[in-house]
Amino acid sequence: MQTNAQPVVMIVDDEEMVITSISAYLRLETEYQIDGFTDPQEAARRLETNPVDVVVTDFLMPKMNGVQLLARSKQLQPEAARILLTGHADKQNAILAINEVGVYQYLEKPWDNAQLLLVIQSAIERTQLFRQLREKISELDAAHGNLKDIQTRLLRAFL
Amino acid sequence: MASAPANESVVAEVHRMASVGRMLAAVVHELNTPIASLLSNSQTALRSIELLKDLVAGGRDPARAMAVLDNLASLAAVDELACERVAAVVRSLRPFSRAGGVRCQTRIHDLLDDALKLVEWTYRRRIAVQRDFGEIPEIECLPEALRQVFLNLLVNAGQAIEGEGVVTVRTRAEGDCIHIAISDTGKGIRPEDRPRIFSRGFTTKPAGEGTGLGLALARDIVTGAHGGSIDFESQPGAGATFHVRLPIAYNRHAD
Ligand SMILES: Nc1ncnc2c1ncn2[C@@H]1O[C@H](COP(=O)(O)OP(=O)(O)OP(=O)(O)O)[C@@H](O)[C@H]1O
Ligand SMILES: [Mg+2]
Repeated sequence: MQTNAQPVVMIVDDEEMVITSISAYLRLETEYQIDGFTDPQEAARRLETNPVDVVVTDFLMPKMNGVQLLARSKQLQPEAARILLTGHADKQNAILAINEVGVYQYLEKPWDNAQLLLVIQSAIERTQLFRQLREKISELDAAHGNLKDIQTRLLRAFL
Repeated sequence: MASAPANESVVAEVHRMASVGRMLAAVVHELNTPIASLLSNSQTALRSIELLKDLVAGGRDPARAMAVLDNLASLAAVDELACERVAAVVRSLRPFSRAGGVRCQTRIHDLLDDALKLVEWTYRRRIAVQRDFGEIPEIECLPEALRQVFLNLLVNAGQAIEGEGVVTVRTRAEGDCIHIAISDTGKGIRPEDRPRIFSRGFTTKPAGEGTGLGLALARDIVTGAHGGSIDFESQPGAGATFHVRLPIAYNRHAD
């Protein structure tokens, strides 16, 4: 998936008020596109079609927990950074599961807006670096393929 | 198994504290979201004010200033919702903060509602509650004690359900009694446990989740202090129903 010109931040929490609070802060401080979901399954479906830079998710949610969502995100968009934002009570279970999916950051509620923003900013940078790197590699691959092509034609023409 | 009345009240108090303690985890969880939201919103409000001051002082970009104001306005509604959530937690804990108490005319439905409100967070999304309240008269009783009985039964019902299920609370006037039935669609009671569940200290729950006192105390309160009865029926694997019967006119001088 290509790099987003305007970074996309996905926020998933079954509590609407968490999404509203984080979105309001990010809208104030950034130009990010913010996609909020109270239903993790719906969020997972969105990941199938739309590239995102960061996924910020709660852990304990009905139907699908945050780590399951992040596992799906890793599968669909490995470069997108994964951030778990969870209540203290779920910490133990969350940490157990984190090792399975590889999480960029683990944050606890209540969060500090400025800290959350820093984490999201550096996560976006990282994601975009990954994507640029991959674009460069495929450009190199293409260039390499071209050279190979020329070499084959040269060989065919002269030998 | 009879013990001195002083011990009775100590046991009851210890159980009350233990069950409140376990409830505390749910309380903390329930308060965490609105408080996190409120904290974030107040930080956002302060940042918005800084920004607006700059914008106003600079006398430029009124469109941006309006956007900041609209953003702020969207938070006011959330703040109110969050405060209501916190207030609801406080309101639902308040009835349980008192122990002891005196006999008075009481609406049993109010006590059931108090207990249901307290377990609602732990039940939320997992368990559906059905209230099937009939026409019942007020009775003279110890409301604090009966509220605790209903809480014990409802917590047991919730703990018996793994995953999703239904808890039904049914009340009816039945001759000279009020009949309260609390049913769950949980795992039920094994035949070999049936004779023991009212025994003090009998529990099938892991340490930290059960002390095995809930039903023993419930029986003491219902039979001893109110001249009523408590019994149950259960299909292993298909749930349990606990029946509490309270006489409408109980002669308290009999105890
Ligand atoms: N609704 C129910 N469904 C299935 N089993 C139940 C139900 N209610 C009680 N029991 C069984 O009876 C036992 C005793 O219940 P009781 O309420 O006295 O103690 P507890 O729930 O184990 O601990 P405590 O109430 O002190 O926290 C339980 O451990 C459980 O095995
Ligand atoms: Mg119990």
